[in-house]
Amino acid sequence: MTHLRIPAPVPLLGVLLLAAGPAPARAQTAREIVDRVDRMLRGNSSRADIVMEIATEHWTRSLAMRAWSLGTEYALVRVKAPPREAGTATLKVRDEVWNYLPRVDRTIKIPPSLMMGSWMGSHFTNDDLVKESRMIDDYDIAIAFEGPRDGVAVWEFTLTPRPEAAVVWGRIIEQVRKDDLMPTWARYYDDRGNLARTMTFSEFRRFDGRLVPTVMVVRPADKPAERTTVRYRDLAFDVPLTPGFFSLRNLQAQR
Amino acid sequence: MRAAVWWRVAWRNLWRNRRRTLITASALAFGFLGSVVMIGISDGFTAEMVENGTGLLTGQVQVHARGYRPQRSLYETIGGPSGTDVASLLAAADAVPGVAAAAPRVFGGGIVSAGDATEAALLLGVDPAREARVSRVLGSLVRGRAPRPGARELAVGEEMARRLRAAPGTQVVVVAPAADGSMGNDLFTVSGIFRTGLGDLDAGFAVVPIRALQALLALDSTRVHEIAIRTADVRQDSAVAARLAHRLAPQDLDVEVVPWTVFSPEIADYVKLAEASNGLIVAIVFLFAIFGVANTILMGTFERRREFAVVRALGTVPSGVAATVLFEGLALGLLSLAAGAALTAPVLAWLHHTPIDLTSIAGDMEFAGALVRPVLRVEYSVSGPVESALGLLLTGLLAALYPAVRAARVPPADALAGR
Repeated sequence: MTHLRIPAPVPLLGVLLLAAGPAPARAQTAREIVDRVDRMLRGNSSRADIVMEIATEHWTRSLAMRAWSLGTEYALVRVKAPPREAGTATLKVRDEVWNYLPRVDRTIKIPPSLMMGSWMGSHFTNDDLVKESRMIDDYDIAIAFEGPRDGVAVWEFTLTPRPEAAVVWGRIIEQVRKDDLMPTWARYYDDRGNLARTMTFSEFRRFDGRLVPTVMVVRPADKPAERTTVRYRDLAFDVPLTPGFFSLRNLQAQR
Repeated sequence: MRAAVWWRVAWRNLWRNRRRTLITASALAFGFLGSVVMIGISDGFTAEMVENGTGLLTGQVQVHARGYRPQRSLYETIGGPSGTDVASLLAAADAVPGVAAAAPRVFGGGIVSAGDATEAALLLGVDPAREARVSRVLGSLVRGRAPRPGARELAVGEEMARRLRAAPGTQVVVVAPAADGSMGNDLFTVSGIFRTGLGDLDAGFAVVPIRALQALLALDSTRVHEIAIRTADVRQDSAVAARLAHRLAPQDLDVEVVPWTVFSPEIADYVKLAEASNGLIVAIVFLFAIFGVANTILMGTFERRREFAVVRALGTVPSGVAATVLFEGLALGLLSLAAGAALTAPVLAWLHHTPIDLTSIAGDMEFAGALVRPVLRVEYSVSGPVESALGLLLTGLLAALYPAVRAARVPPADALAGR
């Protein structure tokens, strides 16, 4: 769900659902809604142009990237600018993450012990790339609140990890707008119940006829001045991609 | 004057039963030997732990930018973001009395990757020549050689080398978040593999020439995180730290100078505990002895019941009688101490020079983050013999206390009448 969504939008199913109109009339379980939000924001496949701005206490930097995704299993992100970083790329296939470093022309597979390490210097972790696909499986989901917040009808879901799930969060709370199923924020708590980070979604725009949040901001709770902002500049859905595209060979292709 | 008289009487009494006195004195002398040697071994273990714990990596005194500890942020270099003249800082440290060597260090967190294997590593940037005089990491190489200054080479621990399947000559990729926000990455060659025996170090550390690490981390050569110092005497850390802080004060660098007793509190706590337990050793040894000695003196006073009665009848006050017996205990103590010292000195010297090596029985032990060899090395100390001597003399006095009271209370008439 609201881990780092390497782009996104929507399979045919999503389009149909939206076309059928928002504010679904039939009763739904929390799990169904979250699953639906999730599917809406993720296509069968997608291609996105992204700008990631990272602001820390000591520096700010901006990376322009192009990202491809296929289902929940495959993702490839390649840095386009600045020139010094261009060609740096990340490949995600199922649970595994590889980084390609053009300067040394080497590919490094991220070992499990480093999955919590920062992804490309941002406030996202490698784990965010991987766990994205398993939120529905890893968490029990309950509606914590349903009704108006600041005049907008929303759901707030509490996601509690299942006992057997190997996840890092103790709890996640996510708010979703009822009328268009757009997520507005998600709060991540550690296993001691302390807020670890907050993610906010804004600037909902239509790309390819699909409504998506085009700005995602993640803020670590222990460093309020720091944040990573992901902006979608362009999004295309259901682009023709095959699993073969997400290969180590293609990871290293400096396009 | 009076005391001198009682003292002479006591000394004479001591030798009335020569054999009994010598046996008792031997017991006390061996007690002294045992106490001093046990304290010596304990001090030796403590010294070994302090030397290993601080000599392996940390050094005995460290200089950092104030606020660097405990987070160890990449950005908190000595002298702030513009750094400092590292060479003159090292020269200033070298000039402080008690400083044996000083070495600059840069720290970075990153990953080291060889082939399919990737490991998290703490990257330690060092000046290889200076580092070798401060810590033993580069002296613990089991294969290859130390990285050359300025070269893109590194030494890794044995366990990390095993996990990376790396050997001297293997090319590895090192990736680390740099100070400018970029992902510093470069190719390095493994020059050597070290084995310190300390798990964290052998599995998690990569030692890199300081300039190569500064380049990887986008830090200027003026920026270092730490000056590590080896002191001539490990126990003089606080004094040396104070002198160094005083010396650096005019440079206005906003640094903190920290002795190992502060940055390795677990070792310092152990030292305190060990020192406290020395008193316990003394107490236990002489607690065993005290009853034997008391018994001997008590027997001596029973034999002299009639004598005490006579001196009492001749007008001696009870406290005078008690004083003779107490002086006797003290004299026994002094005699034992002289014998004990004569006995202990050669044994101590022998154990100090040829420590009992238990390596065949036990392997190295990791203790409070320090590696300790199973060698019963005996350390000379002042406190050990002094505490043991005080314990011994106190034993003589305390053992004589009850017999003295008994002797003073001898009723002259009854005793003389044989009742």
